[in-house]
Amino acid sequence: MGSILIVAEIQKGAIREATYELVSFARRVAEATDREVKSVVAGKGIGTQAEELSKRGGGEVFAIDGDTLEHYTVDAFQHAVQAAVEAASPDLVLFSNTPTGWDLAPRVAAALEAGFASDCFDLLVEDGKLVFLRRVFNGKLDARLVARGTPVVASMQPGATAAFEGTADGKVTALDAAPPADSLRVKFVETRVAEAKGVDLTKASIIVSGGRGVGAPEKFEEVIKPLAEALGGAMGASRPVVDAGWLPHEYQVGSSGQVVAPKLYVACGISGAIQHLVGMKGSNFIIAINKDPDAPIFEVADVGVVADLFEVVPALTQAVKEAKGAA
Amino acid sequence: MKIMVCLKQVPHQDARLDINAEGTWIKEDGIKFEINSYDQYALEEALRIKDAGEAEVVVVSIGPDRVTQSLRTALGMGADRAVHVKDPAIEGSDALGIARTLAAVAKEEGPDLILTGLMSDDVNTAAVPPMLAQLADMPHTTAAVKVEQHDGAMRVERELEGGALEVVDLPRPCLISVQTGLNQVRYASLKGIMAAKKKSIDVKTAADLGVADQVGPAAAKIAVEKIYTPPKGEGAEILSGSTEEVVQKLVAKIKELGLL
Ligand SMILES: Cc1cc2nc3c(=O)[nH]c(=O)nc-3n(C[C@H](O)[C@H](O)[C@H](O)COP(=O)(O)OP(=O)(O)OC[C@H]3O[C@@H](n4cnc5c(N)ncnc54)[C@H](O)[C@@H]3O)c2cc1C
Ligand SMILES: Nc1ncnc2c1ncn2[C@@H]1O[C@H](COP(=O)(O)O)[C@@H](O)[C@H]1O
Repeated sequence: MGSILIVAEIQKGAIREATYELVSFARRVAEATDREVKSVVAGKGIGTQAEELSKRGGGEVFAIDGDTLEHYTVDAFQHAVQAAVEAASPDLVLFSNTPTGWDLAPRVAAALEAGFASDCFDLLVEDGKLVFLRRVFNGKLDARLVARGTPVVASMQPGATAAFEGTADGKVTALDAAPPADSLRVKFVETRVAEAKGVDLTKASIIVSGGRGVGAPEKFEEVIKPLAEALGGAMGASRPVVDAGWLPHEYQVGSSGQVVAPKLYVACGISGAIQHLVGMKGSNFIIAINKDPDAPIFEVADVGVVADLFEVVPALTQAVKEAKGAA
Repeated sequence: MKIMVCLKQVPHQDARLDINAEGTWIKEDGIKFEINSYDQYALEEALRIKDAGEAEVVVVSIGPDRVTQSLRTALGMGADRAVHVKDPAIEGSDALGIARTLAAVAKEEGPDLILTGLMSDDVNTAAVPPMLAQLADMPHTTAAVKVEQHDGAMRVERELEGGALEVVDLPRPCLISVQTGLNQVRYASLKGIMAAKKKSIDVKTAADLGVADQVGPAAAKIAVEKIYTPPKGEGAEILSGSTEEVVQKLVAKIKELGLL
């Protein structure tokens, strides 16, 4: 009987929610293909976390504890994960597509000469075969991938399935596989949280955001900001806008910006890539204005307008002002 | 310092994406291509290191004839040399096949630093850089938002989630994949473009690099079976009518929400 190895992640001292999503995927595959679920937890002083995972569906949990695993570095964690791979000889190794996952998973795949399915939103078993579903072209198209042979390494998109909530007894197996300090090349220096300055979008009840479709920095002043002001809301942006220097970083909404949940979110010229969506899909009401009828933003929006934003947004600004004047 | 920059040419971000007859990829004829957005930042970072001191910048791209144009652009921006790996046998490779090919180039070039994009805008896998680092036996890091030299090593700020950053030191030779926004990308100047005409593009095949049996569909461990338009969920209520009508409907919605 083959096995599936889950690479667990610890965040703020606890097993990360995304790891339990991997448990859900792994148990689904395990059941359909008669495989065993196993996991690996690496870190410093991670006994209780390994215990917790073993009781919540992680199966046999390889706990790899050591000083060199106190902080994530690719060298140390690759060493640990590969030791667990050796112990479990899995057909499938699952990572979460987080900063740790995207740093480590492809490297482990290359070391194993394995196929790698990146950032999948679903994992299916069809006639005993593994099928991976993922987005391509920034969410505009989907792809269906099949593996040729084993092992396969896959990373799963956080939030793609519900976390496993049940209990299922496994066990913890300590694995003496922390790498010696002198074998490590990459040095962890520190982690920092970029200080929040200026606008705190998380407090705004209305946000009008512009994307790459706005086209130029002055258009934010001319088109996006007036609507935000007319509505008494704040202005936001997608990442390319910030990357291009059109607006400062604090305006960025998304996985690497702010996560917002206003009463109203108006997305103008934003396609709706997953990294933007995770930052705003919790909004109470979403209006999307985009000239492409197939833009993924329309999947999460409540109301959509398929049109040129330069026509609709100024007209909307005017109408809002009139409505306010009349009230 | 010798810097190798991996450039991929991808469909232009505003290109129309039609699926090919086999349903396995998009139709490539008739659309515009450009240098992958992330890779433009990687190239710019290499050129900044060169501007600040001494460095040779070699750009490498795997792809068909059309890639020449992107390599010319990179040379025009200031890269010193280009390597174009052109071989129909490489088409249909998985990320591992691409990484093996780039690793073979790295072996010939012996760079002190490899700069790549975090991911490509078409396949979105973010797989090639860590794979290449593994095969070239170099340490690596991903999603760099700041790259500096520090005590003979590269000091990199990498992006985590929600505004958090991680600082790591990597001894050279090493590989760094960069996130967008790391710098402001320059344009090729007219002078640069003229100078680029004299710069060379080495064309290589998989056999030249000794990887002929490690690339292409036969060597791929994972394959795209099909691509398709994502199934539509319930989706948004799409408002129709003239701009005037649509705007009035939006105002009505906003009123319903009690926000006007
Ligand atoms: C690790 C990582 C973290 C990331 N973090 C974030 C993040 O925090 N936030 C974020 O936003 N992105 C983030 N991204 C980037 C993300 O993947 C997308 O590239 C980005 O969200 C796209 O921005 P966009 O929608 O503005 O641009 P595009 O995808 O280029 O979309 C522009 C849209 O504008 C429309 N348009 C053009 N002209 C008009 C017009 N005149 N009228 C109406 N519509 C028009 C087009 O149809 C298109 O849909 C991240 C990516 C990675 C890999
Ligand atoms: N065909 C290619 N030629 C050169 N570099 C590539 C190629 N494919 C991928 N890369 C590099 O690897 C990075 C990540 O790509 P990917 O793993 O395809 O998402 C890109 O940003 C490039 O720097």
